[in-house]
Amino acid sequence: MSIEVRNINKRFGNFTALNNISLDLPSGELTALLGPSGCGKTTLLRIIAGLEQPDGGNVLFHGKDATGSHVRERKVGFVFQHYALFRHMTVFENVAFGLRVRPRQERPSEAEIRRKVHELLELVQLDWIADRYPAQLSGGQRQRIALARALAVEPQVLLLDEPFGALDAKVRKDLRRWLRRLHDELHITSVFVTHDQEEALEVADRVVVLNKGGIEQVGTPDEVYDQPATPFVYQFLGNVNLFHSRVHDGFAKIGELEVAVDGHEDTQNAAALAYVRPHDIEIHRTPENGSTFAATVVHIHAIGPIVRLELARADATEYVEAELTRERFRELALKEGEEIFVKPRSLRVFIDPNPAVA
Amino acid sequence: MSAVISHPLSVLPVPASRATQEPAWVRWLLISIALGWLGLFLFIPLAAIFTEALRKGLEVYWASLVDPDALSAIKLTLIATVIAVPANLVFGIAAAWAIAKFEFRGKQLLLTLIDLPFAVSPVIAGLIYVLLFGAQGWFGEWLQAHDVKIIFAVPGIVLATIFVTFPFVARELIPLMQAQGTEEEEAAVTMGASGWQTLWRVTLPNVKWGLLYGVILCNARAMGEFGAVSVVSGHIRGMTNTLPLHVEILYNEYNFAAAFAAASLLAGLALVTLALKSAVEWKTGAELRARNEETSNEH
Amino acid sequence: MAVLRSWKSHSVLPGFGLALGFTILYLSLIVLIPLSATFIKTAELGWGEFWTAVTTPRALASYRLSFGAAAIGALLNTGFGLLTAWVLVRYTFPGKRLVDALVDLPFALPTAVAGIALTAIYAPNGWLGQWLEPLGVKVAFTPLGVVIALTFIGLPFVVRTVQPVLEDLEAEVEEAAACLGASRWQTFAQVLMPALWPALITGFALAFARAVGEYGSVIFIAGNMPLISEISPLLIITKLEQYDYAGATAIAVVMLVISFALLLLINGLQWWISRRHGKRNP
Repeated sequence: MSIEVRNINKRFGNFTALNNISLDLPSGELTALLGPSGCGKTTLLRIIAGLEQPDGGNVLFHGKDATGSHVRERKVGFVFQHYALFRHMTVFENVAFGLRVRPRQERPSEAEIRRKVHELLELVQLDWIADRYPAQLSGGQRQRIALARALAVEPQVLLLDEPFGALDAKVRKDLRRWLRRLHDELHITSVFVTHDQEEALEVADRVVVLNKGGIEQVGTPDEVYDQPATPFVYQFLGNVNLFHSRVHDGFAKIGELEVAVDGHEDTQNAAALAYVRPHDIEIHRTPENGSTFAATVVHIHAIGPIVRLELARADATEYVEAELTRERFRELALKEGEEIFVKPRSLRVFIDPNPAVA
Repeated sequence: MSAVISHPLSVLPVPASRATQEPAWVRWLLISIALGWLGLFLFIPLAAIFTEALRKGLEVYWASLVDPDALSAIKLTLIATVIAVPANLVFGIAAAWAIAKFEFRGKQLLLTLIDLPFAVSPVIAGLIYVLLFGAQGWFGEWLQAHDVKIIFAVPGIVLATIFVTFPFVARELIPLMQAQGTEEEEAAVTMGASGWQTLWRVTLPNVKWGLLYGVILCNARAMGEFGAVSVVSGHIRGMTNTLPLHVEILYNEYNFAAAFAAASLLAGLALVTLALKSAVEWKTGAELRARNEETSNEH
Repeated sequence: MAVLRSWKSHSVLPGFGLALGFTILYLSLIVLIPLSATFIKTAELGWGEFWTAVTTPRALASYRLSFGAAAIGALLNTGFGLLTAWVLVRYTFPGKRLVDALVDLPFALPTAVAGIALTAIYAPNGWLGQWLEPLGVKVAFTPLGVVIALTFIGLPFVVRTVQPVLEDLEAEVEEAAACLGASRWQTFAQVLMPALWPALITGFALAFARAVGEYGSVIFIAGNMPLISEISPLLIITKLEQYDYAGATAIAVVMLVISFALLLLINGLQWWISRRHGKRNP
């Protein structure tokens, strides 16, 4: 089922949590709401679920306005960051809860409930702990039970609030791959909230990057990583080098380096910020006219398969981070203190909206 | 900015999400029932005490308070309290030090035994000292031979008061000191502090509010105790009457205005106790919040 | 030292021997030895005499009243205490902080004062009594008066045991129930109540234990008629005043045994509950 979010506003006191958010979530996709803490992603998720009322705007489920309907009527499965399992109920009873609270005429028979719960527990591979209490489970197990419980009511939409946030790194990695496989099996429209870019890029079909209550970019993981729409997205997704630059007649200048900037042919001498990812930086022993700038190797950190270099620009006080493969590093035979030439493979330039006084 | 202007009402704080909130009529119905219940059992009795005390005017009220028997009852109540509270305070600190800072077998039993006086009827608390020190008690003859009076005298009243207020300070301190662990004390000891220095400079400052809380409750009960004291006192006017016993005697003599005047003193004390208690709770709450904010800022 | 080590784990902190020694000495002198006097005194009686002393019609009537009225009072307090705690934790209304503070009044108010205040209210010519009298409801000087006094005395217990539990409940759990389609009432009955039961039972038991032994607030309002409105603690005092020490002590022993059993039950219950549900992430 598709979800549409139209012009949603939400304030808490003087704090604007969501500022006029509109978003389409197509049927059957797994979408990540990604952003730093306080960006409004959890509030948006809770508004979609009906746990929170927006101050303005609408939420449409399958084209129908659901803004006024109670969370009970929305048929959403919600998975909480801290699981929110009922601690006095066994795993079985937790999963069966949504079936047992249905009105009498809609309630499945006891045999049907048992069948369904065991089916779900098999789906999350935890059938063998049906009689335990939540307190006896590990964090990863609890989260899988919380998911099974949410799925028991056959939700049209699955919403997950930082589902792996409370788990340790190893479990988190396993569980997110498992979630991806589960989604490929069930194809239920799903939205999950995360502040972990790696998680969003690895798991989601689409990533919605939020910042300060607004949407920065919506796109596939490749799109948001390779073609960030805003400086924020660039900085939030992965490491990035930032150069202060000026754009003039369609070209940005960084030292001796000149790059063509599309759409700024008429811009005159404007302050700009140029972004390049560390692994998009090539290192050369000799300069190439107009496409490199000079720098000194300050530090060399060899980390597993990659080598990270800290470089100091020769013509400015800026530092540059570059990542090389081990082969390339060996080829170059670099040492600390040597002068080299930096060539960015792909560089994005944004006109600085608040330039520092030059 | 347009969003702000078009939704002026949204600036109001939203208390709870709608999903887990009862309808307004349910809320107000429940609040009304609860307040009605508390009104019947708390507010009306409290109002009754002060109204009845002042029924015959301020002069009668004042006269019943400065009556010599009333004054000697107040004095005896203060004496019993001044002995009982510090005694139980010292005990509470010792017990909490042993129980909260060390691991040993039988701790659970000791905790249960400390709670015992709460499970004992005040009348029985008085009775046990009569059995020990009364004329027919175990030590009765010996005491009589040496002309020592405990029952129907001040020492009995003090003992009974100590018994009924026995657990108050210990019960407040033990969970608090357990929660604080032993790291700070161990740090102090490794820096060369003696046991007393550690207790005085590290442990007690950490639990000062809990300590005060326990002392406030202990004090209120000590001043107000009736049943236990009643058994051991002998009700000798001007000699072994505490203020609560004085209230009883006046009441049984149908001297209601004087009885309620004395009662209003004790009720005032109760209100002061509640105010202090709330202040301490508020203070500890504020400190806890400040500490939580500090730790959350570190992350 | 070898013996010591086996029951006490090692610690660098000093003062254990002194603190524990003083604790046990003080506990023994003030509580344990005097309490044991009741049992030893009773032993003088012999089983037959003891049984006769504690099963006289007057004694039996007093247990019925003390335990019965205490149970009714504690039950009333359980229901209304839950409601009061709920209202104080979940809702806002003017004067809430003041009301919250006043809930502890029965802890702070001397029992004799409570007794005469309640009597002034419920006596036939009293504040409320004058309105109840024409309706044929007699409160003061009847067993109903005992129930009123014991309800007053136990009022804070359930509120104060339930309040922190309600405050600590995660809002997420209720939201989860709502997401799963549970109505507000289903959420309350099936999700919140199981979490509140331990606190309710503890509060009930504490209120009951306190009420069973209560003396000061009862004797003014009860009328103290043997076989009708005479509570067990009063019977002990009556027997003492008649110099029937053995008889008084026998009844005291019955009450003590029941109170201790109750105390053990509460502790056991709390231990069982904390073992079952209190376990954290392993």
